Amino acid sequence: MSAIILRNLVKRYEADMAVHDINLNVEAGEFVVLLGPSGCGKTTTLRMVAGLEDVSEGEIYIGGELANDLAPKDRGIAMVFQNYALYPHMTVRQNMEFALRPLRLDRAEVNRRITETAEILGLDEYLARRPSQLSGGQRQRVAMGRAMVRTPEVFLFDEPLSNLDAKLRTKVRWEIGYLHRRLGMTTLYVTHDQTEAMTLADKIVIMRQGRIEQVGTPEEVFVRPRNTFVATFIGTPAMNLVPAVSADANLHAKDFSLPMPQKFRNHVPEGLEVLIGIRPSNINLADSGPANVFAASVRGIEYLGTDALLDLRVGSEELVAEIPAILRPEVDAQIHVSFDMQSLQLFDAKTGQSLESI
Amino acid sequence: MAYGRTRNRKIFLIFLVPAIAVLFLTTIYPMIYAGYLSFRSYDLAKPFVPRVFVGWANYREILTSSEFMHTLIVTFKLMVITLSVQLVLGVGIGVLTAQRLPGMALVRTLLLIPMMISPVIVGLIWLFLYFPELGYLNYFLSLVSISAVPWITSTTWAIWAIAIADIWQWTPFVMMGTAAAIHSLSPEPYEAAMIDGNSRWQIFWHVTIPQIKPVLISLMFLRAIDAFKLYDIIFVLTKGGPGDATEVLSMFIYRQSFTFWRMGVGAAASFVSLAIVVVLITFFFKSLNRSQERI
Repeated sequence: MSAIILRNLVKRYEADMAVHDINLNVEAGEFVVLLGPSGCGKTTTLRMVAGLEDVSEGEIYIGGELANDLAPKDRGIAMVFQNYALYPHMTVRQNMEFALRPLRLDRAEVNRRITETAEILGLDEYLARRPSQLSGGQRQRVAMGRAMVRTPEVFLFDEPLSNLDAKLRTKVRWEIGYLHRRLGMTTLYVTHDQTEAMTLADKIVIMRQGRIEQVGTPEEVFVRPRNTFVATFIGTPAMNLVPAVSADANLHAKDFSLPMPQKFRNHVPEGLEVLIGIRPSNINLADSGPANVFAASVRGIEYLGTDALLDLRVGSEELVAEIPAILRPEVDAQIHVSFDMQSLQLFDAKTGQSLESI
Repeated sequence: MAYGRTRNRKIFLIFLVPAIAVLFLTTIYPMIYAGYLSFRSYDLAKPFVPRVFVGWANYREILTSSEFMHTLIVTFKLMVITLSVQLVLGVGIGVLTAQRLPGMALVRTLLLIPMMISPVIVGLIWLFLYFPELGYLNYFLSLVSISAVPWITSTTWAIWAIAIADIWQWTPFVMMGTAAAIHSLSPEPYEAAMIDGNSRWQIFWHVTIPQIKPVLISLMFLRAIDAFKLYDIIFVLTKGGPGDATEVLSMFIYRQSFTFWRMGVGAAASFVSLAIVVVLITFFFKSLNRSQERI
């Protein structure tokens, strides 16, 4: 399996910068997800790796070899597209055969590979069918099969689940994860869906406006987001950001104050304007009385089955809380909440950068 | 709701009646009248002689006449020549002009010009080009030391002269259809094929052609029907000659009806022509269905 290295990668369309100076290492066998909102340059980056877009500046190395000027077919890659990109007039078997054609394998080897791949993907029964006779999930499996038969060094996925309905998406997501564990291929996967990124990735690359905002394991980007963009992009519902000022080892928001959490105490200067990041799941119902418990009014409730989302007002501050559904109060109820202090994040209000471990 | 619907229906009728009236007067009534005539003897030069019922005599005469068989052969020969050349050239140029390059839209528009010219004018243009002594074509041939070709005066060349003019006029039609069909294909399968490493030729042959096949069949079918009815260019260039070398079916019908004034025979020949076109249409829809089932 090959590693992929991107060095100072730039993509320019006339005056527009689609990709700004991207640096990234994808280790051999690693599953890396490029995550970001639409237009963030993730697909352009992937397509440059595939060789479908020219590189404006910088270098791409695949398996140690400079790939900038290699034709797509010479890069040892296979790609799975959002809308499957199957050949509509060919059967499943012919789709795979056509992908193998340039390798000039003998008949027996072609059949062996197709049988083996079809077995792994559960496509045995569908080999004689055309794409139009398959469901979306099956089509995407065929697209993966067509990529797999060539036993490429690197797999590229461009939003492969976006055209599937929610239920199938979960199922195919499991399948992709299973395949990666089984085959261990180097994978670069583009999505705007954070669930896909969190569940599949060894490493998530969060992009915005052509730049990398953070690279880290799913846990790192969730627990230690480097800035407010990552903090609010990862996690549903989004993290609450409450403006406050640090003073006397406390954080003073407009209508309430919190003690400065231990990990920030030594390096957050006095009088700094900050944003307190509170994940909805880190807001808990509490009894009135003890310190650091705040009165809140319930403006609305979204019942989700296991959990419920509360639209709270703490003073004038709007907060979303996620609590076990069984504990949910009535709308308009006056309740008390507390925060998991060790899970709080602090960001510089001006730069949006995390204040953790400066 | 019901009121609105009936009112809508009345409006439909108001819009439909003129079209139906025109269709009836120019197509349906003449067709019925031709059907009536095809069983009668009717000499246009003797309008007051009663049109006697002659049964299948007109049909029998046509189908047993070697002259009619000859026109059928000429018609099909012309059809096969023009269709095959238009298909190959049209698809070729269509593929080239389907490339997304700057200025390609202009090139496509320019290439469409022959199609927009009235066939009689096309005939006249080519008549000038083919002109034995003064024509440009022979002049250009003389520049590369090829002796003059008797384009429209030789029985072997005349059919080619007509074919070339028709090909010149209608290849753009195939080109336009091909380019449009290629543009309607999604780009991803091509990217997938490129990554897999298939050659351009293989991609064209195995990915493009099968996907645009229904369009190609439709284009060929439309061209086939037109080729079958080809008349104007021939009328201007050769009038069916020299001798009967380029006498096609529609020429035959015209000659029977308006030169020999045998309206009954002309009408019967029209119906035979119609029958052949119907067979063509049936064949076309069969093959179209077959190729669409596969997609």
